[in-house]
Amino acid sequence: MVFESDRATVCLDRKMMEAKPSNLPKSFIDQPVVPGDVVLDLSSMANQTIKLGGGLRQDCDALSVMKSGKLRFLKPNKYWVESSQKRYAPSVGDNILGIMVDSKADNFLVDIKGPALAYLPVLAFEGGTRRNIPKFEVGTLLYVRVVKANTGMNPELSCTDATGKAAEYGPLKDGYMFESSTGLARMLLNSPTCPVLETLGKKLSFEIAVGLNGRVWVNAEDPSTVILVSNAIMNSESLSGMQQQIMVDKLLQRVQ
Amino acid sequence: MEQRLANTWKMTVNEKKFIETALVADIRVDGRRPFDYRRLTIKFGREDGSSEVQLGQTHVMGFVTSELVQPYRDRQNEGSLSIFTEFSPMADPSFEAGRAGESAVELARIIDRGLRESRAVDMESLCVIAGKLVWAIRVDLHILDNGGNLVDAANIAALAALSTFRRPEFTLGGEGGQEVIIHPPEEYSEVLDKVREPLPLVIHHFPIAVTFGFFGDDNIVVIDPTHKEETVMGGRMIATLNTNGDICAIQKAGRVAVMHTVIMQCLRIASVKAGDITSKIKNAVESYNTERALRKIKRHSSAALDVHKPVVDWETQNQSVDQKRMSDLPGHQERLKPISKESGVSQSNNMEGVLTPNKAPEESTDEKPSGTESDQLNADIMPAHSPDGAVGTVVETNRKNTLADAVKPKHKRKKKSSSNIDAS
Repeated sequence: MVFESDRATVCLDRKMMEAKPSNLPKSFIDQPVVPGDVVLDLSSMANQTIKLGGGLRQDCDALSVMKSGKLRFLKPNKYWVESSQKRYAPSVGDNILGIMVDSKADNFLVDIKGPALAYLPVLAFEGGTRRNIPKFEVGTLLYVRVVKANTGMNPELSCTDATGKAAEYGPLKDGYMFESSTGLARMLLNSPTCPVLETLGKKLSFEIAVGLNGRVWVNAEDPSTVILVSNAIMNSESLSGMQQQIMVDKLLQRVQ
Repeated sequence: MEQRLANTWKMTVNEKKFIETALVADIRVDGRRPFDYRRLTIKFGREDGSSEVQLGQTHVMGFVTSELVQPYRDRQNEGSLSIFTEFSPMADPSFEAGRAGESAVELARIIDRGLRESRAVDMESLCVIAGKLVWAIRVDLHILDNGGNLVDAANIAALAALSTFRRPEFTLGGEGGQEVIIHPPEEYSEVLDKVREPLPLVIHHFPIAVTFGFFGDDNIVVIDPTHKEETVMGGRMIATLNTNGDICAIQKAGRVAVMHTVIMQCLRIASVKAGDITSKIKNAVESYNTERALRKIKRHSSAALDVHKPVVDWETQNQSVDQKRMSDLPGHQERLKPISKESGVSQSNNMEGVLTPNKAPEESTDEKPSGTESDQLNADIMPAHSPDGAVGTVVETNRKNTLADAVKPKHKRKKKSSSNIDAS
C-alpha cells in the first residue's frame, strides 16, 4: 500500500534551461483528468518551483496524471489530483470520524477507513493527564483530527485542536453514522454549503458531522428525519446542484 | 492481529442503537417499511445459464454448467444438481479467500435444500443412459458485493441461471447405441434438417427463499435485512416457498424465540413475496429468451438463405422464422410436433409477433437490462419483416392454403437445390 497524502508535497526543482515565455495551460485545472493525461509542460516554465501532490508524476518535461479525478491547483504552486474513493489516505489536519476498535495502555486504536489503524493517545484530550483517562467502549464514534500521517507508521489522531481545547472533538452520542466516499464528504464540506444540506436545512433541523474519510454522522430529534437526511445525502453523490435540490424537494414532499 | 482489525468491518454503537430505535417506530435505515423488499434487478450474460442479480447493494452472479458423469448408485436414472458458493474478499473484507466460511457453507446448504429437496429441477430428464451416464448440473454462485440478505439474492441468481441454462443435445450411436455423441449448439443436422438447439432444463416450480430478521424480545420482524441490520438482529428465519404456497424449506437461525403466530404471519407474507419474485424472474427469463431467439433468427436466416434456399419468398422465410421463435419459448419443448399443428400455432401468433414485435420486451423493461439491445435487434429485423405487414393481411384471408404452401415447398426446394448443386 502506497501512502499518499493529498497535500504531501514533492519538491521539484528545475534548473533554468531556456527562458521561454510561460504559457500556463490553465485549462486542466479543476477539470476531470484520467491517468495518462499530460497536464503541464515543464519546458515552458523553466524557472519555477512547483509542488506535486498525490496522483501526479513527472516524466522529464511532462507532468502526467496517475489516477482519475479532478486536478486541483493551490496558489502559488501546488498541484494535486483529487478523487473520490472508499479508502481514505490520511493527511495531517483532516477532521475525520473514527471508530474505536481497541484500547491499549497508551493509545486507543481507531479505525479511520485507512490502510492502517490510527493511534489516538490517551492523553490527547483536553486537560488529559494520566489520572483522568477517558473510557470508551468498543465501537464508539469519535470526531478527531489527524496530527501525524507519515509513511510506514500508523497515523496519529488527536481530540484537541491546535491550542489544546476540546473544540468540537470527542465522542459522538446517538445519531446515525453511514459511510460514503471521500468525494461526497468533500462536497458536503465545501463552502458555500452544498445544495443538499442547504435545502434540507431550510425544512428540517438536524446535526451533522462530516469526516473527510467519508464517514457522515447525522442526528435529529426524530429518527425519520435522520433517515431522510442520510438517504438524501447518500443519493446526492452523483447529482448536480439543481438535481440535488429537486431530489430533496421530492423527498420532503413525500414525507410531509 | 492489527492488520486483521484494520480489515474487518466495524459497526458503531450509534448505528446499532439507532437501527433498533428506528425499528420501534416502524422505519428502517434505508427508508423502507418493515415488509418492503429492496429493488431487485435480474440481468443475464451473453451465454446461456449465467445470471447476475442485484438486490439493493447485494450483488450475486450465478453460473450453470453441465457435464456427463456416472450416476449415483442409488439413483441410477437421475442426474444431479450441486451448488457451489464463492465468497470473494472483494465483496466483504470478512470473507477469507480460498476458504469457505461458515456463512458460505450455510448459504450453499440452504439453496441446495430449497432447490433439490423440493425437486424443482427435473432430474430424470437429465438421464442419458440409465446407470451409466447422466448430466450433472453445477451451479456456481459468486458473491460480488455483500449488502445483506445473500441467501435471497443467491437463490434468485441460481433460479435465473438455471432457467436460462441449456444443455447440449446428444444422440446415441455406435455399437448398440451405447455411444453418446454430443452435438455442439451450432451443428447442422442433416436428419432433422435444422440446427440442433441445446435444450433447456425442465423446472417444475420456483422455490423462492425469503429472509426475515427478528429484533429484540418484542418480536420486531423485518423482511430482506440489509448488511447493517444483519449485524444487529437477534435471529433470522429463511422460508423457501413457491407460488403455489408450498413450503419447501424453513431455516431458523439465531437465539431469538419467535411466537408461532409470528411465524405463520411471516409465511403468509413470504408467499406473497415469492409470487412477486417468481413473476419477476419469469419476466426476465422470457425477455432473455425472446432476445435470444431474435439473435438466432438474424444469424440463421442469412445462412439459410445463402446455402440451402437460393430463392425463398417472404412467406416461407417468415414461416421458418416464426417456427424458430415459437420453439425457443420456454413452453414449447416438443419440437417435433406435427407440422401443421405447430405452424397453426405460430401462424396465429404470427400476426401479433410480426406486427408488434416490440411489445413483449417493453412490458418488462424493469428487470430487463438489455432492453435497448433487443429493441435494436428488433429494429434490425423489422425491415425484413416490414413487407410482411402487407403480406400478412393477405395471409390472414386464406390461412390454410398458404400454410401448406409454406411448409411443403421448403423440402422440395431444398432437394432441388441440392441436386442442382450436384449437377453443377
